[in-house]
Amino acid sequence: MRAGAAVAAVRRRSASRASTLYLFALPATLLFVVFVAYPILWVAEQSFYAGRTDGAAVFAGLANYRSVLSDPTFWIVVRNMALWCVITIPVQMLIGGLLAYFIERHTHALRGFFRTMFFLPVVTSVSVISLVWVQIYAPYYGIAQEYLRHVGIVMMTSPIGDPKTAIYALIVVNIWQWTGFSMLMYIAGIANLPSEVLDAARIDGAKGWRLAVHVIVPMLAPATKSLLLLGVIGTLQTFPIVHLMTGGGPNRASEVFGTFIFKQSFVLGDTGSGAALSVIVLVIALALSLIQIAVLGARLSPAGKEKP
Amino acid sequence: MRKMLFLATTILAAALSSAAANAEQKEVTVWSWFVQSTMQKSIAAFEKAHPDVKVNYTYYNYSPEYITALKAAAASGSLPDVIGLQPGSLTQQYRENLEAVNERAAKQWGDKWAEKVFPVNRKQMLMGNPKGDENYYIIPQESQVLCIWYNRKIFEKLKLSAPKTYDELKAAAKALTDNGYIPMFQGAADGWQNENVFLMLANQFSAGIVDKAQAGETPWTAPELVAAMKAWKGLFDDGIFQQGALGAHAYPTGAQLFAQGKVGMMALGSWWMQESKFPPPLSEFVQNMDGFDFFYLPPVKDGNSASPPVGGIDIGYGLTKNGGKNPEAWTFLAELTDGVGLQEALNDLNDLPAFDGNAPKGDITDHVKEMSARFMADLPKAENQRFASPAVAEALDNALAGVAAGSVEPEAALAGVQAATEKALAAK
Repeated sequence: MRAGAAVAAVRRRSASRASTLYLFALPATLLFVVFVAYPILWVAEQSFYAGRTDGAAVFAGLANYRSVLSDPTFWIVVRNMALWCVITIPVQMLIGGLLAYFIERHTHALRGFFRTMFFLPVVTSVSVISLVWVQIYAPYYGIAQEYLRHVGIVMMTSPIGDPKTAIYALIVVNIWQWTGFSMLMYIAGIANLPSEVLDAARIDGAKGWRLAVHVIVPMLAPATKSLLLLGVIGTLQTFPIVHLMTGGGPNRASEVFGTFIFKQSFVLGDTGSGAALSVIVLVIALALSLIQIAVLGARLSPAGKEKP
Repeated sequence: MRKMLFLATTILAAALSSAAANAEQKEVTVWSWFVQSTMQKSIAAFEKAHPDVKVNYTYYNYSPEYITALKAAAASGSLPDVIGLQPGSLTQQYRENLEAVNERAAKQWGDKWAEKVFPVNRKQMLMGNPKGDENYYIIPQESQVLCIWYNRKIFEKLKLSAPKTYDELKAAAKALTDNGYIPMFQGAADGWQNENVFLMLANQFSAGIVDKAQAGETPWTAPELVAAMKAWKGLFDDGIFQQGALGAHAYPTGAQLFAQGKVGMMALGSWWMQESKFPPPLSEFVQNMDGFDFFYLPPVKDGNSASPPVGGIDIGYGLTKNGGKNPEAWTFLAELTDGVGLQEALNDLNDLPAFDGNAPKGDITDHVKEMSARFMADLPKAENQRFASPAVAEALDNALAGVAAGSVEPEAALAGVQAATEKALAAK
């Protein structure tokens, strides 16, 4: 009887403890439901409706998805996003990694200065960056032209005004803006490298290029994986730089998912297509993230611990 | 003790009178992209005339801030009382959230009030309405006339005059380029400026043809429109526009260079006059508009006339369903479009009035008065510059950019606009 009472008391305590734990999780759950889950479900619902000219919405089934997938602009966007992803992520990682390595290992007194200078574009307003780069690219009266004139080069067109080069010109701006972020991630990774491993490698004769490639780079894998994941998500979220510099033009040549969704939803007022596009982007982002986690593992920060 | 009692009584009286004043104070909420400094003057004039009403104005950049804010507010039923609108597509997107203002306007200005509005504006006020819906959902505040502005001081220095033929235009562009100036600045990365120039060209080949095309009465592939599209390409190929125009923006880049005297010509509109009212320091060209004058695009083909004036509503305002429940909202809207609020905007040379019988007053030079009078004389005969469907405008923007870049032929580009028009008309 006594044993039964004790078990019941333990059960009561355990239930009370569990409900306390659920209470602690409640605020985060509520925030997630209100600000993440509900908007996603709302957008998903909208993607099955089409707006009529009298303002009413009618159920359209998969018509919005069919319309989006049969629109040639969608495939231009897919191509642009693939280019953006394939070019920006490795180039940013490479330049950012090299900057981090040289700043951390070869600068002393000016280390803070270089870190700040290379990180500055990341915290600069996109509007300012866009204005400056439009001026840099401008032929005839532009900033780049002023310097190129001295070596006899005359720019005949603006790279952002030519459908063949517009997307690459935007990619250059994106790399310039975000390389500082890659640098910072690698600086954090390098700062966390265990000194005993580096010392052991040096004793074994590894130095210079060999030390960097065979010891430091593999040990920075968590930072690289994080940058890869963030890079893919960042690519899919690209909007302001394209909106401000080319508006997705000329003739949709530099359209990305962000500008395409914006145009469909807010300029053309076709909320259904805009929502369908948003759902497609969400599915792509989710799939790519899961693939990366499956392939590369979930250890994404230098301080992260692999599960045994 | 008496002093304490007196102090307490005074504080109580002040608190009570303040509470009473707050209770009497009525409020109108307004959202728009309209120049903030000018709007503040209009609001100050309104509040002076209506001391019991307070206007809360929220300024947004037009894109993406304003149009996204409107969309979100409309979805949540929290639109302000009065919203800034453009005729056609923007008004139509929010028609369900707007009050028809016919009765209020008739009560305010009399039964024949609409006749006071310039014809092109009147046409645009109904643009995109469903068949049979004669309600007005937008009251225009200001009108505009599109034109080619030129720097007359540079022209004088280079012994040039306002071109009257296409050859003269080409010669002027060449002279400007040879002397280190940008010939005609085109912000061809912006769809709106491309549309404006195309409208000038198309109406030169056949007045009103774009209106017929967007209504489905004439195909976009009509010979006149194809010729206009070829002439559009010619402006790039003949060196009229600056090199790299497709990557350039009219604002702020083009406007700044034009104001600084580095550009010979620019396709803008009557709103350019407001540059002279911006806070100093102003360039010698912008000061009192001394450096500027305008002309209409000369005939680009033998047998054509110069482009007719093209224009219409610059900005208008709508009374939302929320605003319909607030009597002061209409009072403000009426004063803003044809009252003390409008007068302040005109005095700031923001643009031309939408209602006849209004004119700028105050510190304005004879040169500006003369140009303003020329615009006002042209406004009643202006051709429409607006599009009823955003999809058609978007298709035309893409066609113009594609042709300018040489990536698509004029006929094929216009066939794309035709397809977009048919789709838009079918959806209606």
